[in-house]
Amino acid sequence: MKADEIDRLRAGNRSLARREFFRRGTLGIGSLALSKLLQDDLGASIFGNDNAILKSHHAPKAKRVIFLHMVGGPSQMDTFDPKPELDKWDGKSLPEELTRGQKFAFITGDARAIRSPYSFAPRGESGMIMSELFPHLATVADELTMIRSMQTNEINHGSGELFLHTGHGRLGRPTFGAWTSYGLGSENSNLPSYVVLKDQHPNAGPSAWSSGFLPSKHQGVLFRTGRNPLFYLENPHDVSASERGDVIDAIGELNGLAFDRYQDPEIQTRIAQYELAYRMQTSVPELSDLKREPEHVLSLYGLDADGEGGDFAKNCLLARRLCERGVRFVQIFNKGWDHHANIYQALPRSAAKVDRACAGLLIDLKQRGLLDDTLVIWGGEFGRTPMVQENNAGTGAKTAPGRDHHKECFTIWMAGGGVKKGYTYGATDDFGFGVTENAVHVHDWHATCQHLLGIDHEQLTYRHQGRDFRLTDVHGHIVRNILA
Amino acid sequence: MISFSRLPFIFLTITCGISTGEEAVDFSRDIRPILSGKCFKCHGPDSGSREADLRLDLRDAALDAEAIIAGAAHESSLFDRVTTGDLDDRMPPKGKPLSQEEVRLLRIWIDAGAPYENHWAYEKPVPTDLPSGSTHPIDHFVRARLEEKGLRPAPPADPAVLLRRLSLDLIGIPPTIEEVSRFERDPSEACYEREVDRLLASNHFGEKWARHWLDLARYADSNGYQHDDLRTMWPYRDWVINALNEDMPFDRFTIEQLAGDLLPNPSREQLVATGFHRNVATNFSGGSKVRELRADILHDRVSTTGQVWLAMTMECSQCHDHKFDPIPQRDYYELYAYFNQAVTEFAMEGPGMFRKKFIGADLPFVGSRIDKRRVEEISDTIELVAAKLEEAKATALADQVKWEREFLDSDRGANIPWKRFPWNLRGGLNHLRIPPAKRTDDEKLNVEALLFYDHPATGPHERTLDRLKEERDDLVARTMVMKDEKEMVPTNLFLRGDYTSLGEHVEPGVPDVLHPLDPGLPPNRLGLAQWIVDPENPLTARVTVNRFWAEIFGRGIVTTPEDFGMQSPSPTHPELLDWLALEFIRQDWSMKQLIKTIVMSETYRQTATACAEKMAQDPANEWLARGPRFRLSAELIRDNLLAISGRLSRKIGGPAVYPPQPEGLWKEISGADVSHYPTSEGEDRQRRGLYTFLRRGNPNPMVLNFDGSGRSACVTSRDRSNTPVQALNLLNDPCYVEAAQAFAAWIEGVPGDDFSKATAAFRRAVARQPSEAERQALVALYEKHGSWFSVAQVILNLDETLTKS
Repeated sequence: MKADEIDRLRAGNRSLARREFFRRGTLGIGSLALSKLLQDDLGASIFGNDNAILKSHHAPKAKRVIFLHMVGGPSQMDTFDPKPELDKWDGKSLPEELTRGQKFAFITGDARAIRSPYSFAPRGESGMIMSELFPHLATVADELTMIRSMQTNEINHGSGELFLHTGHGRLGRPTFGAWTSYGLGSENSNLPSYVVLKDQHPNAGPSAWSSGFLPSKHQGVLFRTGRNPLFYLENPHDVSASERGDVIDAIGELNGLAFDRYQDPEIQTRIAQYELAYRMQTSVPELSDLKREPEHVLSLYGLDADGEGGDFAKNCLLARRLCERGVRFVQIFNKGWDHHANIYQALPRSAAKVDRACAGLLIDLKQRGLLDDTLVIWGGEFGRTPMVQENNAGTGAKTAPGRDHHKECFTIWMAGGGVKKGYTYGATDDFGFGVTENAVHVHDWHATCQHLLGIDHEQLTYRHQGRDFRLTDVHGHIVRNILA
Repeated sequence: MISFSRLPFIFLTITCGISTGEEAVDFSRDIRPILSGKCFKCHGPDSGSREADLRLDLRDAALDAEAIIAGAAHESSLFDRVTTGDLDDRMPPKGKPLSQEEVRLLRIWIDAGAPYENHWAYEKPVPTDLPSGSTHPIDHFVRARLEEKGLRPAPPADPAVLLRRLSLDLIGIPPTIEEVSRFERDPSEACYEREVDRLLASNHFGEKWARHWLDLARYADSNGYQHDDLRTMWPYRDWVINALNEDMPFDRFTIEQLAGDLLPNPSREQLVATGFHRNVATNFSGGSKVRELRADILHDRVSTTGQVWLAMTMECSQCHDHKFDPIPQRDYYELYAYFNQAVTEFAMEGPGMFRKKFIGADLPFVGSRIDKRRVEEISDTIELVAAKLEEAKATALADQVKWEREFLDSDRGANIPWKRFPWNLRGGLNHLRIPPAKRTDDEKLNVEALLFYDHPATGPHERTLDRLKEERDDLVARTMVMKDEKEMVPTNLFLRGDYTSLGEHVEPGVPDVLHPLDPGLPPNRLGLAQWIVDPENPLTARVTVNRFWAEIFGRGIVTTPEDFGMQSPSPTHPELLDWLALEFIRQDWSMKQLIKTIVMSETYRQTATACAEKMAQDPANEWLARGPRFRLSAELIRDNLLAISGRLSRKIGGPAVYPPQPEGLWKEISGADVSHYPTSEGEDRQRRGLYTFLRRGNPNPMVLNFDGSGRSACVTSRDRSNTPVQALNLLNDPCYVEAAQAFAAWIEGVPGDDFSKATAAFRRAVARQPSEAERQALVALYEKHGSWFSVAQVILNLDETLTKS
């Protein structure tokens, strides 16, 4: 018998068991969750949706988020923020008043500037300027809002990543995704509301998808690449699906008897969770099986037979599949943007790895009508210096030129979910060192993203240590200019 | 400076509510939460953000400003501003306006004269006169509340269930069937007390209760952040286990952890105890700055100390005066000054900026007696080999010119373990390529180091030494301890919390709102620790008993164990909390005695079973009309399932162990030098959960699935989630599959028919007798599959198995 046939049969059996359960009658507090479970996918969430703490503060423009985090910090002046003036400063130190008192990770303020070798041109009808490194993304320039004036507080990867995701540069706070799950819950009780995909771990590790002090069910659930995205998804090799089904049924039956005894609604939730676990053993591998996608979709992401799409492209496609199924927040990490050395060999490779899939994702979402209410975000935890780094920070050995970490300005783009199309916001100085116009601090950006999701960043709070915490700490202004 | 607590409070004596013909309004219960939640942010203790120069946290100030006119709500501008229809004028300016109920309470209170009260937590616990009689004081307090709520206590739990509850609470391991049967035969008061005493005397007691403390101490086996290097703090963990087993009084337990190094002639154990504050996660990534790192770590020590002993949340006062609690920024930095006395604990390693290392005080630590002997042997051998190496160096040096040429021409560089050498040699063979005459002294030494390692005359000795030292390092751990500078280290306030912007100078000191510091105490951590455990301290005992209570009943008498401040919910049983605190001090801070007091109550011994109606009346069991029932922690689920299957190792203490976990988790850690997880063999695969190596950068997934954490910061309470991932974990993780196999084999060996086997299996897991329906279900499953494995899996996954009932 095929797995799905077994599943159908078993579903029938279990509804019998449920009727038996109802016949016994004594439904307490948990009856609501249980009755929702009977409507199948609507409730009894483990992962959070019956615990969404708010409907919305206002009508949301975006219902879900796909956040493409380019771990390491892409160089803004080589990608989306052209600095022709830098050509003149190539090989010279920047004006001292600019660099005085600034923190750098590895270089010093008097390091000489280095120009960008890439050509920039207007793209699409909007004429958005991009460098030659993103030819595919250029075709969807008219979908993007480009923010060139991002600012953060941190100059190291771990703390920078934490700041980008939690609004705080140290361990222990909930991430943007966790806040979203906490605030809005999931639209599918069979899947987590917050899923994490990665080709490699970010530097902050699982803290970059932590629920912090929020209830732990709001932490991101890491889906790994491969056949079994979750640990412990497969039965032990000598346990058949039907034997497992019997075990789940017996657990349910005995737990039902325990419920009679204790009336503890946690027991009903546990019965539901074991049943859901059983269903996930089929549904999750199915979900991650990208071979089910038609060739024309695969080719959008560069995943067709001769495409060059790697893990990042697979993760983008999987993100779309997750969003279709009601996952609220998909976090993707792509590593390889920390170009301290040899940037002009390495950066084109990094860009090529994501360019096609990013464009493909936007096109795919748009074709399905999903882009309008999906907020797609692309960016790193900080930017890079206009000055060169030429020595390995560890060994001191001479290296091919690169750029150091930079917190004073960087560029991100967003698309879909209520942001303007083909719009560039904010400006930096001639060197790409500091913001001259419309600074968007990470706190402001969080406030804006939450606004798009229908959340008032000052109202979505959680009491911890006697204080009502929020994603934006005590800061954050909504950047109204980028709202569509 | 003016202390909050010493200002006059005119109506201070009114503590039991006021009545104006309408119902009584209690300041602490009804009014302070409104003022604190809606007003204090701009009209509270923080002078920096105070608006209109108005503060409402002090009665005199509110009266002087005519915000409140005692006895006349409708003439008070406070009342006017929160009720006005003019949205420009209405308070609070942002967020939800006051509810009708809040407005009503405020009106009654002002009309009654607006009496303030000091916050209960900053006043000393108040003793209660207990009625004479045999009622356990805990039951006295709990029942008084039940009566008010119209609830009745539950009957005692079934003896088997009670013994299991007790055993899980005291030692974290379920009772054997024999222990259960013995207690069932005579579940008398005297026998129950004997069981309590037996379990309190068990050496597994310390293991159970250490887990709870280690969450507070943010104990882990790695640094956290990028690289996430390993550290050796298990001697501290063992210290906690031993201290609990010896029933070290809590005041001593506190002093040794906060300041053991400052005691006169501290013992090794007292030094190890100070590992408490060396447990802080540490960011050694590339560009992190040493000064910033130190500030981060000291902030963590202040914050953790505040949460663990005082339930005061200090963090806000890093940058400004606290908005709700009377903790001015200055008070915060006075506490910070105690910790700022610590010696420098980390430094850059080598000329590069990539790594930092710990340089603070540490202690070599040798495990067992056998290890000690082996360490001595190795040390002797090292001396011998080192002497031989010295002799051979002349030969190698004589050959250096020829060797350099040969080495550069060969590909031997590929076989050199470069990490062994100083940083500046790693990037390649840079120094070797520099002509000898142009080399600096350092560069010469580096080249010689390479020569000695590679040259046939010296190389074998070098490699032998490496191997011996590695073997010795494995036996001798160095664990981090606290140490202070002898000279006073000056401390300045950080403006806006920025460590680079220094404000005024401060001396070590304690928050003014609490009991005064005895001027005879030394101005260091020892003085601070002694102040913390001073019986005059209104917080320490309350905060501690509340956490013990929460561990046993699933929720605290104050539900925010880390915060007893103005914003905290009122205690459900204030008199009980005070009684327990005073009793704790009276019993010389004995933690075992405290636990015994709690578990001897009838409240503890009630059945957790309930009817639907009772459940609906008090779903969270706030009022304790039934016994505690909640899911076990990650570690206890592991211990429990392994114990039921008969596989649990009873070995106590020692280095952390590496039970099997999914492959590749350590490889995922960014920039990690140590990426290989050295899976344990033999007994160490079956140790209790608290011994599992805790790598902050990617902790064991089972721990995370069941609400444990990487302990990156102090954890005062854990969630108890209920997820499908937990089900998958316990059904499919090889660890629990093997446990089910072992359990199945045990069931098979039980004498008697299938029903006897099923009964024994059920009893072993949940202690009580199965009902007929439960036995039938288990046997039916066995008959269908012809093996006990499925039955074993079912039993190991029952809600009742994973839950303390």
